[in-house]
Amino acid sequence: MTTKNIYQPFKIKIDKIEKHSRDVKLFRLVGDFSKNKDGTVFMPGQFVLASHFGYGEAPFGIASSPYQDSYIDLIIRKTGILTSALHQLKAGDEIFMRGPYGNGFPVDFISGKDLVMVTGGCGIPPIAALIEYINAHRDRFGRVYLIYGARTPADLLIKDKLKQWEDKIKVLLTVDKPAKDWSGYVGMVSELVDEIKIDSLDAVAAMCGPGPMIDALEKILRPLGISDRRIFVSMERKMQCGIGKCQHCVVGDKYVCQDGPVFYYDQIDKSWG
Amino acid sequence: MEFVIEKKKIDKWLDDLKKDFKVIDIRGKALPAKQYFLPPKQKTFVFNKKTKKLSCPEYKKEFLVFGLGLADLEAMTQLDEIMEKPYSDFFYWQKRNKSLIIGLVDESIEVAPGGDVILEKITDQQYRALILTDKGKAIIKDEFFDKKDKPSIKNYPQPDNPFKRMLLDSELLAEAVKWSLNHKIWDKLGEQCLGCGICTYVCPLCHCFSIEDQVSLDNKECSRCRQWDACTLPEFSKVAGGHNFHKTIKQRYYNWFYHKFVRAYHEYGKSQCVACGRCRENCPAGIKISEVLKEIVDDYKKHLSAI
Repeated sequence: MTTKNIYQPFKIKIDKIEKHSRDVKLFRLVGDFSKNKDGTVFMPGQFVLASHFGYGEAPFGIASSPYQDSYIDLIIRKTGILTSALHQLKAGDEIFMRGPYGNGFPVDFISGKDLVMVTGGCGIPPIAALIEYINAHRDRFGRVYLIYGARTPADLLIKDKLKQWEDKIKVLLTVDKPAKDWSGYVGMVSELVDEIKIDSLDAVAAMCGPGPMIDALEKILRPLGISDRRIFVSMERKMQCGIGKCQHCVVGDKYVCQDGPVFYYDQIDKSWG
Repeated sequence: MEFVIEKKKIDKWLDDLKKDFKVIDIRGKALPAKQYFLPPKQKTFVFNKKTKKLSCPEYKKEFLVFGLGLADLEAMTQLDEIMEKPYSDFFYWQKRNKSLIIGLVDESIEVAPGGDVILEKITDQQYRALILTDKGKAIIKDEFFDKKDKPSIKNYPQPDNPFKRMLLDSELLAEAVKWSLNHKIWDKLGEQCLGCGICTYVCPLCHCFSIEDQVSLDNKECSRCRQWDACTLPEFSKVAGGHNFHKTIKQRYYNWFYHKFVRAYHEYGKSQCVACGRCRENCPAGIKISEVLKEIVDDYKKHLSAI
């Protein structure tokens, strides 16, 4: 009897690497990804475990369109040993990967409703995948807003995408420390609320944090009248196995890797932090 | 028909088994049987830097672990269940499928808790073999075991263990530990616990692990190693970038209890504890888990009767 090896990673080639900020790079990984019956290769909000032998393995949210079956994009900030090693690689190099894992955003539930997305800095990947999903059939969704924050304008990632998305959704940018020519918002401020016109009884929020989360919740989402049950949050935790065994990512009774990473807010608000 | 072995023949039987198996006698060992299936450290994948090929070390040799008591047998049955859910753990079963587990129990058995064969004491000089699997059946040889229709069987009662009795009501334990989040006992334990992780290493059911890469000294290959981790250690929930989701010993200790008595109950309907007593024997800070639990349960009961 041979059991399937759930830990088996597969080799994947780096097609290109783009520098997006001082310490963040985007990695485009090419492969033949098998499509699910709805035409997607993963659900927006799902993650993969990417690894570079000798330096370890870590979870990363997928940032590209779920309908793209020839590549996936990972946006990686240089923070530890693995990410530093990845940052030294070049196009054509190979790394390893397994997944996708986790639940992803509940796109069927969001469908037909207004949506406010909030994220900051490196929290953009799962939100980016969700936007790509929405834009692939924009008519299925109501009014859609993205509030994207960063420390400084230079820390805003995937700027070309942000520009491109403006045709289909409303993009609101905010920074903590504006540069001279900055015309967007400063901080998670309540003025952002005035820009958002939604039917609060039929609206959903999606967040990826933890950065601006609490601020956004208090200053934007609650004033907008979106209930906690309709706020979906993608959580970050330490993960080793990705499949509910190693116990690192657990919060109470929930495995962030299996039951999440996306939770609705009142599932997790008490165990936040 | 019973298969009876004389006490003095057991070691000879083990010697004979060595012809076909690697025999591991765990009697008197500090670490529980889990170490042979979920080793303290093992290579899961090896990447050859020159050929760029990835391989997964195979495990071929059949082995036999001998000498598990009642608590340890029960722990192995539970660990099998854990390693099957939600997905089969490849590396655990790779070894588990090549192994036999033989219990040696000096008390009369009410329900056989697990293993392939259990030797149960029936007189001061004799044990009978309780055969639980086909694999187990194959190692019971006439040379060492006498077939007896009605051997004389003495009763050796299991010593009364209040801790074990407490575990019978795992629902109450789950409720009590969940309720205890703000109990003063966690502050006390946060002070007392050294955060060394020994309790989890010696526990026959703790199975947290981490995955780490290792490069050979000649830089020719990289191994992805899986190794024991302990949820009481400082770095357990720390992510790259420095944020630690369980900063204090108090948080980590409560999380350990939450896993064993609350989450395990929700997932498997029982506590992940078999009252083996190893954590108590080996804790350098002298923490007595059974007494911690008792205090929590007693206070929870008081709380219930006060409402």
